[in-house]
Amino acid sequence: MNFEQVIGLEVHCELKTKSKMFSGAPVTFGEAPNTMVNEIDMGMTGTMPALNKRGVEYALRVCHALHMDIDELLCFDRKNYYYADLPKGFQITQDKRPIGRNGYLMIEVNGKEKKIEIERLHMEEDTAKQLHLSKYTLLDYNRAGIPLIEIVTKPCIRSGAEAAAYLEALRQIFLYTEVSDAKLEEGSMRCDVNVSIRPYGSETFGTRTEIKNLNSISNVQKALEYESLRQEKVLLSGGEVIQQTMRYDELNKETVPMRSKGDAVDYKYYTEPNILPVRISHEWVEEIKANLPMMARERVKKYVEEYDIPTVDAKILVSTKTESEYFNEVIKYTNNYKAASNWLIGDVQAYLNAEGHSYDDITLNPEYLAKLINFIDESVISSKQAKKVFEIMMKENKDPEVIVEEKGMKQISDEATLVALINEVLDNNPKSIQDYANGKDHAIKYLVGQVMKATKGQANPRKTNELLSSMLKERIN
Amino acid sequence: MVTYSIEELHELLKNKKIDIHEYYEELMKEAEVQQERLNAFVTITKDEAMKNLDEFDENDLLSGIPYVLKDNYNTKGIKTTASSRMLEDYVPVYNAFAVDQLSKHGVHLVGKASMDELAMGGTNKSALTGPVYNPWDVRRIAGGSSGGSAALVASGLVPFATGSDTGDSIRKPAGYCGIVGFKPSWGRISRYGVIPYASSLDHMGMFTRNVRDAAIVLEAMAGRDDRDMTSSFKEVPHYIEHLTSDIKNVKIGVLRSVSDEIRNEEIKENFEMVVNIFKKLGATVEDVTMDKTLLRTILPSYTIIANSEATSNHSCLDGIRYGNRQEGETPDDVMINSRTNGFGAHIKRRFILGNLALATENQEKMFRKAQKVRRIIVEELNKIYDDYDIILTPNCGSVAPLVDEANDDRLSDEYLILENHLALGNFAGTPSLTLPSGFVDGMPIAVNVMGRLFEEQTVLNTAYALEEELGLKNQFKREG
Repeated sequence: MNFEQVIGLEVHCELKTKSKMFSGAPVTFGEAPNTMVNEIDMGMTGTMPALNKRGVEYALRVCHALHMDIDELLCFDRKNYYYADLPKGFQITQDKRPIGRNGYLMIEVNGKEKKIEIERLHMEEDTAKQLHLSKYTLLDYNRAGIPLIEIVTKPCIRSGAEAAAYLEALRQIFLYTEVSDAKLEEGSMRCDVNVSIRPYGSETFGTRTEIKNLNSISNVQKALEYESLRQEKVLLSGGEVIQQTMRYDELNKETVPMRSKGDAVDYKYYTEPNILPVRISHEWVEEIKANLPMMARERVKKYVEEYDIPTVDAKILVSTKTESEYFNEVIKYTNNYKAASNWLIGDVQAYLNAEGHSYDDITLNPEYLAKLINFIDESVISSKQAKKVFEIMMKENKDPEVIVEEKGMKQISDEATLVALINEVLDNNPKSIQDYANGKDHAIKYLVGQVMKATKGQANPRKTNELLSSMLKERIN
Repeated sequence: MVTYSIEELHELLKNKKIDIHEYYEELMKEAEVQQERLNAFVTITKDEAMKNLDEFDENDLLSGIPYVLKDNYNTKGIKTTASSRMLEDYVPVYNAFAVDQLSKHGVHLVGKASMDELAMGGTNKSALTGPVYNPWDVRRIAGGSSGGSAALVASGLVPFATGSDTGDSIRKPAGYCGIVGFKPSWGRISRYGVIPYASSLDHMGMFTRNVRDAAIVLEAMAGRDDRDMTSSFKEVPHYIEHLTSDIKNVKIGVLRSVSDEIRNEEIKENFEMVVNIFKKLGATVEDVTMDKTLLRTILPSYTIIANSEATSNHSCLDGIRYGNRQEGETPDDVMINSRTNGFGAHIKRRFILGNLALATENQEKMFRKAQKVRRIIVEELNKIYDDYDIILTPNCGSVAPLVDEANDDRLSDEYLILENHLALGNFAGTPSLTLPSGFVDGMPIAVNVMGRLFEEQTVLNTAYALEEELGLKNQFKREG
């Protein structure tokens, strides 16, 4: 590509509050159409909006996670337009005074860090869901009125890969602040992109196009890459990029125009007269900030720096908040951080996968896993035995101590006991001592086997080996 | 049939002097008679009125009392049309807050009253069911937009009716019909469930035939409603208990910039008589003025703000989910066809004006400017309130116009100021009460008292004192 890409992203995220942004109807997903509505969501004439405090709290969580300046005076505006999915004929949104401004999010692309500047975050409400059929359109108002936040970046993104990294990082913020399940494929997280290109070094912006309704992060990247190349071709062939709204055709992997700028609606924004400005207390804003969990990025840093976990592994550990929280619990009971990380990334994850579960519904007491790790470290059981204990432990959420006890797996590592046992074996096998003295190394293997036989396999093999060879040497000398 | 006030009817029911079943049978017959004469109902709700008649509660002044709702108050299961073709057959799924408030007291709904279409008008001539006639002279209008409510109370059929008031839609018709019309402070009565006109100017209120009844009804309708974020948390006072005609401590400012515009000598004389009564009653009464240029801007700024808010408030009326749906090829066509068919020509004009004023390229010089003017006017008004509890004005400059002559399109100062000053109470959200003060040519005339925000009691007391002195209470006109 001979041009620099200039990309800005607008992300909508549905908040999973109990009730809707301006009505008491429940926020749900997948319920029978038009059952989770009241007169407000249906835009019945005479209804009025009542602001959901929890919606504001969720928006504030994300604002804080994105290091934004907070406007403590909440102001709402009407965005006026006619559309079949818009019950009131206007959407209540924050036009002039978004709740959050001037934030940022750090991303990493090809090992290089970049600060993505965020212009604004505002609160609004969702529209009804449309299902277009050949002869008619179906409308489901369950979605109408669900709280939304919209987050707009500055045009500071320079590639599809950066856009994808930003979306992944933002998705993690939504998950870590627990405001949304943030699923692009289900529409609880939505992304529109603005893209233009310009010669490297140029300070002015080219004409941009907007691509709407992208339903996966990889499609965002693909659409941006396709659209930038398309614009490049236009410019190189002496043409002009037209400002228009496009959509991404997944099947043909190309961007297609939806409407041009000439069709743009005038939204006639003006102050919502039914919601007087609401002053929120500074204490409340700060309290929400103080209660915010550590975000994924900071956790990776901590895991790497304090626990000496490889970066790649640390990133896997924080891929969901529940996994990271689980890890934090496990290491409350063991100091072998690396082993904890390995178990979680390896065997535990594999077990959960096989069962069709995730860390969201893991039943195992984290203390038990820590115990298992400590047992291995203290040679209470062998690694081989540990695998067996693990299977039972995962299945039954059972204390490994009990399992080891019940299965008689406990190793004999006590030196005095082992010395006595070995002496007995040596006394009974003078021939083997002789063989060893004559340089037949296999004799030691035989003797270890005898110790194992005498202890029904519970003797610590490493210790037994060590003790046996030193005791043999003593006898020969 | 005999006409009673709320308190009178309550006493009679309590002492079993009248049989409630017989009373309502007769009342519903009379409702038909008055409908023939006044065309004031959109719907007569006989079944509703006759319901639960045996559940009279002698401890509640409103129990068993018949009343009428303006047809923009949503009533669950009962047609609510706002006198618009768009909602001709619309049956709401929910009640307005004020309706639930009143129902708690055991009132009986006699019917839904005609109004100007979507409350946008001052004549009631734009109602889908046609004009409402003035009980005092059926050749004349009852006024608007709450014309049906005013006419029915003035006919003596019911002791009270609800109204809504965006510019003067309760007070103007109350004056034309010789009854009490009261619009309390913005936020005193929840607006939830009332089909709006312009949210920042809309007020709920009531018509009664005397001030005491207004105090009773206000107390029932008022109160905080969590579904209306603009409704006040202020406790609702027990108005009737605190009602007094002793107004010696009340300071009244006579707004001369308005009363100076009266051209009709009899109205002028009547107004001066009222001023003198207040003086006689021991109130402090002084002349006050406001800049006339500013007063002339009331109508244009009102027109812009009201129609801008209205166009967006009524965008929900698109025929998609409810209302008068006209089919079309696409959802857009359905909306266009429904709205084209559903609204009267004057409504469409107002929507166009509202959209023009809100358009991004015009908003600063039209809508925002009108809002600024409104703020300046309110600031000026508040300067008067610094020194006075009550602002006294004539209600308007004439008696109710003849049906054929009534229109809203004039530009004289007499019209601009004298016929539009009541919107001051909507701009400022202050409590404003109109009560009868006399007659000219057999038609009632009125004055208006307006108080400070949430000082409804002072307004009621001042009006009560004047009413006692004038003796013009419980007026009604049954025959033509």
